[in-house]
Amino acid sequence: METSRDDFIIAIRSAFLKKGTQQKFSLLSLLLFSIIFLVLGSLNFKAIGYVKLAIKEIVYTSSFIVSVPENFVKNTYSDISNHFSHYNDYKKIKVELESLKLKKLTNKILTLENIKYKKLVDDYFIKENETFAKALIDKQSPFLRSIIINKGSKNNIQLGMIVLEEDYLVGKIVEVNYLTSRVLLISDINSKIPVSLQPGDIQAIMSGKSRTKGVLQYIKGDLISNKEELTVVTSGSGGVFKSGIPIGKILAKENSLEKEDKIVNFYRDFAQLKFVKVTSYLKEKEDIDISSKGYLKKQAIKIKETIEQNETLRVLTEQKRILIEQKKIADEIRIKIEEENIILKNKTVELEKEISIAKITIEKDTIGRNNLVFLQLNLLHGHKCRKTFYNNLFKVNTEEYRKCVLNKGVDKISE
Amino acid sequence: MSSINRRHLILRLYRFFPVILLFVSVLNIFDFNYLGLKYFSFNFSYILIFYYSLKKSESLGYIAIFIAGLFNDVIVGTPIGLSSLMYLILCVASSYLRNITLRPNLTKDCIFFLITILIINSLLFVALNFIFNYEIDYFNQIINIVYTFLFYFLFSHLFNFFENYMVGSNNVR
Repeated sequence: METSRDDFIIAIRSAFLKKGTQQKFSLLSLLLFSIIFLVLGSLNFKAIGYVKLAIKEIVYTSSFIVSVPENFVKNTYSDISNHFSHYNDYKKIKVELESLKLKKLTNKILTLENIKYKKLVDDYFIKENETFAKALIDKQSPFLRSIIINKGSKNNIQLGMIVLEEDYLVGKIVEVNYLTSRVLLISDINSKIPVSLQPGDIQAIMSGKSRTKGVLQYIKGDLISNKEELTVVTSGSGGVFKSGIPIGKILAKENSLEKEDKIVNFYRDFAQLKFVKVTSYLKEKEDIDISSKGYLKKQAIKIKETIEQNETLRVLTEQKRILIEQKKIADEIRIKIEEENIILKNKTVELEKEISIAKITIEKDTIGRNNLVFLQLNLLHGHKCRKTFYNNLFKVNTEEYRKCVLNKGVDKISE
Repeated sequence: MSSINRRHLILRLYRFFPVILLFVSVLNIFDFNYLGLKYFSFNFSYILIFYYSLKKSESLGYIAIFIAGLFNDVIVGTPIGLSSLMYLILCVASSYLRNITLRPNLTKDCIFFLITILIINSLLFVALNFIFNYEIDYFNQIINIVYTFLFYFLFSHLFNFFENYMVGSNNVR
């Protein structure tokens, strides 16, 4: 027993202290070194900070270079899968485009009205700074979801700036280096975003769950489960994000379930990020005073014009719809008439056939009746026409015989 | 003369292959995440470090592992020094296994590897969750451990093949 304990101690001691043939440091010393590194790093020790900065600059650049072959494979894979879904997407998009065209004008009106009201409550933000950046490293680790972008403090990037793709929220800046920055994606479990659920304006906090999904936590107010789809946008609470930035949606199916943690489906797939927009917003300094009345008037005129345009478009669309309906009805009638015509033609052909059959039957009947008369007369007057040994009349089954019988004897013929 | 130089270069490349692979895997996070598979992730660095520390400790220097850990922290975004610590603990475990093993056996290595990565991930979880206030998804971590363990079989055979047929044959010539 004691020997085995000794063996264990010897093996452990050897593992920690023994240097290999090519090793310059023992494992114990490196372990201690990494613990010191970790502790000093968490205490924000200056020297460690500089080392960190240097490592970051080197690693981000070299990682971008090393990732080139994998990115090529990744992009090719993505291109191929996109290619296969291309036709279906096209059909879907075409239908969506039609409906979106109509919604666009209404949206424009709502936006203008929204700006007007936000200005009234002093909650209107304008873009202060906007920078476009390229995603250098997009490593979606299962534990931490973040990306590195190629813009840093050199390009006026600051901590807490919002990162968007098109107009959809992607995340926020959590680390700024001189040439690069780290973006914590909203899909990360550590990102807590104040959101608002529309319709209903219910406030909640959203946290990341997986690559394409988030989960709602701490829902303020009663979220009544129904079969309605909910849109999730930033609420602007806490002043971190501007309000109204689209994030995702809660599907009707998900919303109908009676559970507290609702799943949010993001509008964007964060595995496909290439270029992002880093922005910060600033409250507009313009107050509602006499000078801004002119601006409001202009806005009101704009709204009026847009409403008129919308009304004209609506009338035209309605007219177009009616004409299409009329055309549809006319087409249906034409098709019905054509069908009836074909049926009548068929009936005529059938009737003609029936007539010809009837004619043949009548002819047959007439012949039969004549034969019957002939046979009756033959019984009565056959002996008057039949050729025998002692007279010179007609042979049976000849035409003359038949005529003779039908004339009821030879006398009648001579008469 | 030129053929000797070329062979020398190839041999040198083969010798540094584990280090190169370690840095590429750390900088590139070699885990096929782009396939978008929901329940799939594994830690290639753990497999590589464990295998080479166990079988060919002279191929993969501890300093290289330490630096790779620092790089990994920077890429993943964890506190700097944490991955180095975990990698080195993995080295300690493999070194201990090497010391106590008389007859190497892949199954035993795998079981030991599983126990080690369970301990390492537990330590990582404790450190991140309780000390540095990071939230970690348990389920993702379990999946990562399971696939890392399963892939050890595959990669140990691949590395064996590489060491025996590529490096070995070049040494003989």
